[in-house]
Amino acid sequence: MSRMGSGPVNKRSKFGRKERIFGYSVIIPYVAYTAIFWGYPFVWMLILAFTKWNFFSKPRFVWFDNFLKMFTDKVFLQIILNTLNFLAYLIPMILISSLLFALALKKVKFGRTFIMLSFLVANVSSGVAYSLLFSNLFAVNGPVNRVFDALFGVTIPWFSNPQLAIFSICLIITWKFMGYYGLILYAGLQQIPQSLYEAAELDGANKKVLFWKITLPLINPSLVTVTVLAIMLTFGIFTEPYLITGGGPMQRTTTFMIYMYDTAFKRIDPSYATTVAVVTALLSYGLVTLIRKTFEREVSFV
Amino acid sequence: MKKFVSVTLLLVLMITAFSVKLTFWTAPNPYQEEFWKIMVTQWNKQRPDIQIEVQTIPAAGSSEEAILTALAAGNAPDFCENIFSGFGAQLADIGALYAFDNFGADFTKLVQTRKMTSIIDKWAINGKHYVFPIYSNPMLFWWRGDILKQLGYSNPPRTYSEIYDISKKFADGKKKFTMQVISGRNWWDRWYDFITYYYAATSGKSYIDTVKRKVNFGDATGKKISEFIYTMFQNKYTAVELGTNPFYDGTILGKITGPWEVNWAKETFPKVIPNIWISTPPVPDDYPKDKPVYTFADSKGLVIFSTCKDKKAAFEFISWVFSNAQNDALWIEKTQMPPAREDLTTNPVFAKYMEDKFFKAYSSNVAYAVPPALIDKTIDIQQAMTTYLVEPLMYLKGKPDDILNNAVKEINKILF
Repeated sequence: MSRMGSGPVNKRSKFGRKERIFGYSVIIPYVAYTAIFWGYPFVWMLILAFTKWNFFSKPRFVWFDNFLKMFTDKVFLQIILNTLNFLAYLIPMILISSLLFALALKKVKFGRTFIMLSFLVANVSSGVAYSLLFSNLFAVNGPVNRVFDALFGVTIPWFSNPQLAIFSICLIITWKFMGYYGLILYAGLQQIPQSLYEAAELDGANKKVLFWKITLPLINPSLVTVTVLAIMLTFGIFTEPYLITGGGPMQRTTTFMIYMYDTAFKRIDPSYATTVAVVTALLSYGLVTLIRKTFEREVSFV
Repeated sequence: MKKFVSVTLLLVLMITAFSVKLTFWTAPNPYQEEFWKIMVTQWNKQRPDIQIEVQTIPAAGSSEEAILTALAAGNAPDFCENIFSGFGAQLADIGALYAFDNFGADFTKLVQTRKMTSIIDKWAINGKHYVFPIYSNPMLFWWRGDILKQLGYSNPPRTYSEIYDISKKFADGKKKFTMQVISGRNWWDRWYDFITYYYAATSGKSYIDTVKRKVNFGDATGKKISEFIYTMFQNKYTAVELGTNPFYDGTILGKITGPWEVNWAKETFPKVIPNIWISTPPVPDDYPKDKPVYTFADSKGLVIFSTCKDKKAAFEFISWVFSNAQNDALWIEKTQMPPAREDLTTNPVFAKYMEDKFFKAYSSNVAYAVPPALIDKTIDIQQAMTTYLVEPLMYLKGKPDDILNNAVKEINKILF
């Protein structure tokens, strides 16, 4: 650090003046960006979590009050359970569907790019737009239920039964992310040398053995990546339940994000919303660490 | 000549130096924007000493979000419209608003001129007026007159029993239901079902005692309403989910809505429109026949922030706009929403708008439309109403009386 200042020390710098100016000019945009859009909010977050503020008055220091409030907050507990419920559906659904997508993509001979792009369209479409689309599609008198009614004489309460509502939302999210996560797994599959399969086949391994003993263990890094991304995704679910179910029925689809948003801007309690955000971040970080510790294996192709 | 020029120049200089410049935020809605642009242009020409700049509330998740972040950042406008009365109460609670009562006699005079003496009562927050009501959308029921006629009725139903009576003839529990009883599962939906029914059954009594911080709807009327909702679901006269546009495809006969649906319905379902009957919300059987039926008002108003540079100047502009009934006529022309005044049906200025049956129905109920209870915990209370009252009634979880009592207990906990 001492070399940054001017003075005699500077003369001993191994870089010339021009080089130093160039160096700083390269890093300054990044440092400034980080300070403004990351550092400043981070400091504010810490201040908010330990104070009481209502957008208008001066923040009042309250020590750990916001954190203590969380222990008696029934809604917060309900949301933790909801999130686990979401994870229980979403992780298997998203892993299996994107793995199937990746495996199928490997088999495709023509138009692979076109198929990949088609699945990615879902990923880049507007959350608001497809949420409205799905809520109409799965409405009680919507097209999906009309088909069910015509074929089996029953209609399914997609968004009004608590478990079904969670399942339906997971279905929408799976639809959105299948293509993207599938590509990550596809890249993993591509890395496995063909010679491994050939050698195993010579040893008499059938397709089942090839999948369970070679493919699955060797795409472990990609699978863990996808799982970690999906966990972080689950902690950030907002648009779909906010627009389709409004967090109901029985508050079963209320997520951390919905709670933060409503608490900050509808209940006018940004301090508590920030505290919820901090704890949510820690929870998701903890879960991600746990998953990585348990499932991550080092894979190397010799 | 030289003297004249220099004097004029000096005057202009003085005016610009001493003139106030106020920022005014309006709803991000093209019709309302148009209205306010016309008003402000006229005003700015007349009053070079008080210049007003109109800006629409910046695009954000919601107007609330935009206003709160602006307050936090210290660049809030001087005054702002499109403030929902409940949000007004929250803003007043954090000390961000300036009460109109501070203008004393001038405010009283404005209220009288605009014919809103009884309306303004329901807008008081802790005894003071922080929100100046602009428009008031009474929530009314629309009924399928064509189908009701076929069933042998010449009027929309008025009481719960009349609704049961129609249901026995019409509802089959599968594809035909009498009406939408519950508006949805979001916290704000409670305004359009339980709270509306409560206002209707009690002549506009508040569902929450905001002074004692206690629930009012745990009374006999609340029981009748819970019973009604429960009966409708138990007999499959209504359903948890009714699908998209059930009213227009004939799945249901009646539903509650505001005037904002009129133009959309006219364009989308022109064939249904002529057959629509409009009524006030249903009431218990013993509700007096000659008494007017009250309803919920979805209404918005104008506030002056406590950070306003010149509050008196802002009020002068507000007075100027709302003292002239012609301006309210222009408002109707542009937005199709009934201004919050009691003389809409009697004042000749508005006569020509009364030819439209929808506008007429909505305006004649403005005087009986009550805004929500102005309390700081609206969202938590109504979330609890959803979880402990409406959802158990919908899913028939227990007896209606027990459900109501439990809900009252839970909500009192939040209030206290």
